[in-house]
Amino acid sequence: MISQIFILSSKGDHLIYKDFRGEVGKDAVTVFYEKVTALTGDQPPVVMSHKELHFVHIRQGGLYWVVTTTADSSPFTLVEFLNRLTTLIKDYCGSLSEKSVRMNFALIYELLDEVVDNGYIQTTSTDILKNFIQTEAVTSKPFSLFDLSNVGLFGAETQQSKVAPSAAAARPIMSSRGDQGGKSEIFVDVVERMSVVIGSNGVLMKVDVEGQIRVKCYMPSCLEMRIGLNEEFSIGKSQLRGYGAAVRVDECSFHQAVKLDEFDQHRILKVCPSQGEHVVMQYLLSDELPSAPPFRLFPTIERDNGGRLLMYLKLRCDLPPKRADREPCVSVCSRSPSLSQELSSPDQKAELRAETRAVHWDIPRFPGGAQLSALFKLEVPGLSSASMMEVGPVGLSFELPKYTCTGLQIRFLRLTPVQAGSSQRWVRYVTHSDSYTIRI
Amino acid sequence: MTDSKYFTTTKKGEIFELKAELNSDKKEKKKEAVKKVIASMTVGKDVSALFPDVVNCMQTDNLELKKLVYLYLMNYAKSQPDMAIMAVNTFVKDCEDPNPLIRALAVRTMGCIRVDKITEYLCEPLRKCLKDEDPYVRKTAAVCVAKLHDINAQLVEDQGFLDTLKDLISDSNPMVVANAVAALSEIAESHPNSNLLDLNPQSINKLLTALNECTEWGQIFILDCLANYTPRDDRESQSICERVTPRLSHANSAVVLSAVKVLMKFMEMLPKDLDYYGTLLKKLAPPLVTLLSAEPELQYVALRNINLIVQKRPEILKHEMKVFFVKYNDPIYVKLEKLDIMIRLASQANIAQVLAELKEYATEVDVDFVRKAVRAIGRCAIKVEQSAERCVSTLLDLIQTKVNYVVQEAIVVIKDIFRKYPNKYESVIATLCENLDSLDEPEARAAMIWIVGEYAERIDNADELLESFLEGFHDESTQVQLQLLTAIVKLFLKKPTETQELVQQVLSLATQDSDNPDLRDRGYIYWRLLSTDPVAAKEVVLAEKPLISEETDLIEPTLLEELICHIGTLASVYHKPPSAFVEGSRGVQHKRIPIRSGSGESSESQDTGGAPGATEAPAAVIPSQGDLLGDLLNLDLTPPTSTAGAPPGPPMPMGGMDLLGGGLDSLLGGDIGGSPSMGSGFGAPAAVMPSSLNAPVGGGLGDLFDLGGGVGMPMGTFVPPKTLWLPAMKGKGLEIMGTFARRAGVIQMEMTLTNKAMSVMTDFAIQFNRNSFGLAPAGPLQVPTPLSPNQTIDVSLPLNNGGPVMKMEPLNNLQVAVKNNIDVFYFSCQYPISMLFVEDGKMDRQVFLATWKDIPNENEAQFQINDCHLNSDAASNKLQGSNVFTIAKRTVEGQDMLYQSMKLTNGICVLTELRVQTGSPTYTVSLKCRAAEVSQCVFQCYEAALKN
Repeated sequence: MISQIFILSSKGDHLIYKDFRGEVGKDAVTVFYEKVTALTGDQPPVVMSHKELHFVHIRQGGLYWVVTTTADSSPFTLVEFLNRLTTLIKDYCGSLSEKSVRMNFALIYELLDEVVDNGYIQTTSTDILKNFIQTEAVTSKPFSLFDLSNVGLFGAETQQSKVAPSAAAARPIMSSRGDQGGKSEIFVDVVERMSVVIGSNGVLMKVDVEGQIRVKCYMPSCLEMRIGLNEEFSIGKSQLRGYGAAVRVDECSFHQAVKLDEFDQHRILKVCPSQGEHVVMQYLLSDELPSAPPFRLFPTIERDNGGRLLMYLKLRCDLPPKRADREPCVSVCSRSPSLSQELSSPDQKAELRAETRAVHWDIPRFPGGAQLSALFKLEVPGLSSASMMEVGPVGLSFELPKYTCTGLQIRFLRLTPVQAGSSQRWVRYVTHSDSYTIRI
Repeated sequence: MTDSKYFTTTKKGEIFELKAELNSDKKEKKKEAVKKVIASMTVGKDVSALFPDVVNCMQTDNLELKKLVYLYLMNYAKSQPDMAIMAVNTFVKDCEDPNPLIRALAVRTMGCIRVDKITEYLCEPLRKCLKDEDPYVRKTAAVCVAKLHDINAQLVEDQGFLDTLKDLISDSNPMVVANAVAALSEIAESHPNSNLLDLNPQSINKLLTALNECTEWGQIFILDCLANYTPRDDRESQSICERVTPRLSHANSAVVLSAVKVLMKFMEMLPKDLDYYGTLLKKLAPPLVTLLSAEPELQYVALRNINLIVQKRPEILKHEMKVFFVKYNDPIYVKLEKLDIMIRLASQANIAQVLAELKEYATEVDVDFVRKAVRAIGRCAIKVEQSAERCVSTLLDLIQTKVNYVVQEAIVVIKDIFRKYPNKYESVIATLCENLDSLDEPEARAAMIWIVGEYAERIDNADELLESFLEGFHDESTQVQLQLLTAIVKLFLKKPTETQELVQQVLSLATQDSDNPDLRDRGYIYWRLLSTDPVAAKEVVLAEKPLISEETDLIEPTLLEELICHIGTLASVYHKPPSAFVEGSRGVQHKRIPIRSGSGESSESQDTGGAPGATEAPAAVIPSQGDLLGDLLNLDLTPPTSTAGAPPGPPMPMGGMDLLGGGLDSLLGGDIGGSPSMGSGFGAPAAVMPSSLNAPVGGGLGDLFDLGGGVGMPMGTFVPPKTLWLPAMKGKGLEIMGTFARRAGVIQMEMTLTNKAMSVMTDFAIQFNRNSFGLAPAGPLQVPTPLSPNQTIDVSLPLNNGGPVMKMEPLNNLQVAVKNNIDVFYFSCQYPISMLFVEDGKMDRQVFLATWKDIPNENEAQFQINDCHLNSDAASNKLQGSNVFTIAKRTVEGQDMLYQSMKLTNGICVLTELRVQTGSPTYTVSLKCRAAEVSQCVFQCYEAALKN
């Protein structure tokens, strides 16, 4: 049961405060902020307690989203709820930031009133909520489809007119009934997160891919959408379809609104998307990738006679040549205090960051099939053979647009009844690195 | 213009301005004004002065404005109760509005106004709304009953709202059902005995049906409510499980965890050989694995829960080791939890993989994580014997890195490995010694000193090494000082010739220059020990140490059971029972603590126990055991606490024999168990000696112990009064009364023989039939003959356990034949099984824990002892007299839990948990023993010993 909900700015300003059960005073907010700012790195921030009061919080959009409870509630419920609440508020206000929350406080209070009653969570579905919510969202600046200044997550070259600008998905769902001129759009995103461990001998030790199909819908009327996946898509190990090149995942779960009657036969997901963002399907693939991992690293480490550690890294991108990675960053752990470097191209840069104790090597563009190299010279005081062991694993972070490592594709997206010309459908793919580690 | 203008700074006449705006005629202006008021309210400004003006805006048909006004009302009604009444009329009117949104809004807001006066106006509208045609209104009204109950519980009962609420469980709308369940669950918590949520197969069926239709949040309420139900039999249990299982693939992790909770509980009731049981186990793994791909916050919560599940049912995740491998970018708190689970899942099958990972982790940069990884390697070595060698070599590799904290951590764990596998890996000592200088943490220094002392004979320069530590003796922490003292004494006992000076130095440092009583006492004890009897000293100081147990950090079994019932709640994150952190007044704890739902396994105990104590899982906490290392150090390093608790006592006269005795015992106590009762445990036989005929060693020892042992003094063996074994009628004039006693470790059969015949009796002899524990006379029956008519004599016959064994019914039955010159007479008698409890029946805590866990639940028996008015300490003392040793005592909510062990002469160990509720004369004994047959007898002893 939720006792209070509050939203704080990163500086601790009260943005929203709502008490549901009258059990605790308002000073809980101050207590929380003191506690959360006093946390050290190794203390789990998830659940904190003060006397009889328990705080569960998440951080989203630079804000603290906190619920308090006095009972033995489920932290899963609370964290899960906070995540939903942030999506909901994002759906309603367009974006998540201190500014948007401040501007829309009346709307957020109204939402909270409908979402939670007496500490019991009622609903977080936009479909139900739209019947009750009266307040209009306020956006900071009028939305413009041509505002391409911040091409973020999904952005690619602007020349390609077929790509939706990332700002397109950052507007309130509700304002579509107002002045937005009934722009009915639907975005279907396939987002995959890879975590890979490659052993020091180059062997792939562990691969996990977690994927999601997200639907963000701006269509006011409820209609049925059919999402067709690859026909050779299979779940589990036993069910191989066709020969070899199947798109396979180990586990798969669906949003409860998804109808699966055509899934077994034709791999079609049927869903009546409600307004806002939803995860329609989640899947997990472990241990086997249909293709080689996107990056390979060939490290050599030796000592030179000047008492320095030489680290020669050769990085190869195994993607098809047309694909390009956006700004990958390589980081190598090291306890060394100083660094000198030789990089294969001038637009790259590398630095040693003290706080992470790692060398960071930033690469602006890395086309598929290319190979880059770097030589780092590290000053290590008291260099010994054991110091070689101290050079830790190499971590890669990257983002691959228009690429899924499981090979999952969306064959088609059909809306019934067929919408008049105004509706636009976007399908986007992206693969992120969650933890891409290469051991030395 | 945006709404953020509402947050602009306060100006002087702001309230005044707002007042004017609120009273404006224009709707838009009013709305803006109320918004401004609410914005001020949020940032903490006092706008209560505007109450009447805001309330005036209430009567509007604009829903948006109405909502805003209601928001304001909820906040300030409490501080302005009289004003709030002004609003009542509007509320009542709104409750009849044709628009269901307004009806619901009114009833919701009214419930939130926590003013007692308003409640009487609330009842009628609420009653109507509970029966409203619109489900949205009904679901809001259902919640309102819970709100009203919180303000005025009596009113709710009197008005019959609870029954209406119960009816709503059968409502056609799943949302209404979910809210009714939530409201009833909460109300039921404050009425532990009311049968509000009358869960029966029919209502369960309704809930299960609603489960499929309601929102994800409603599903959580329903699942949590299901978890409180106890199915009648395994078939019902299975059918519920089958209907809950689909929830495991839900996208909402809270739904998944609530489902896991229900399944984990109901699984207890399924027979293990059932196919379905295996299927269910398999189904539980994937959702748990999926949880680990969530955000770090959820991951952490999931890992804390998985940690519990792995302890309860390791088989669920035994093949999933890989998912617990640490990711490079996991936050540290997630990494540490994963490590913990990795160790719990480590087995011979996967140890190679685990070790390879751990070795990688040990070279990362995060200090805390590296330390824990190194420690984990040591724990693997101790847990999986086959891997020990590889672990040790890995640790040696790590020591070679010379990274300071890695080396220190490695040395600490290697010490544990030495303890577990004595005489196997000592070849590495040389390498360890090389790193002596780099150790700067007390724990590592203490561990290193322990190693040097323990293996002094193999280290050529042990004396130099220890001497180097001695230089800064006063700057060391107590832990290191104590260890250094012991190590040097060990060294001296091993190499007396070269180290005399050193030992004198350390003894004088410890006894004369130290302010620490523990250190001083230990110093004195060693000093006297060495000066009076070096041989004894050797036996004491160099005694063989008990092996350390494999499993560490285990949560105490009863607590684990309870936590399993709280999966997915805060309790499972804190690993504490809810009663430990939930506000008492809400009364959540007791009701929630579920019945141990095992049918097959625990029905026995429920049958025999059958009392409330049996159904209420005890909120027991074995102290956070700390890690293995802490415990180990305790073994060696904690001062003998048996003396510490006592008054300072007389200043110890030097060299007294008596003192030595006491010191010796307490020293042993400290060395072996470190628990207060141990010292007195050794004192037990001594204490009864004066009454015994053949007390072997001077009673001084016992007396002294009396002084030193203080509180923990046992009462002496309980000896049942003599009973008539052979009436004169049957014995042709010979009457035998008898009893059994255990004196100084020897079982005595004490008999009073009376000659009621007319003639003299001679030639007495005695024989026993084969019996359960092989009792036999240790010598001939010594009766000074002849026994004249009407003469009575007392004889005491020592017994041993060397006789032939045959199981008797009852177990403690003994058939005796007594012969004299007249005839042979047969009789049978029953001895209290406590006679067979040996003096060294005290278990190590770790062993106790492991054994308790190891003995299957079927072997558990539970008994009640009524009308016993001792407190737990007195009970412990009494039992101690019968060689029932208290290993640990916990107090939870006024309930004392004594964990006790005893050992029978034939080596059977009995483990018990004695629960004593302060102020209640009823004790509960839970008893576990591999040979379950003895339970009944042991229980009788408990009863006899406690009631006398």
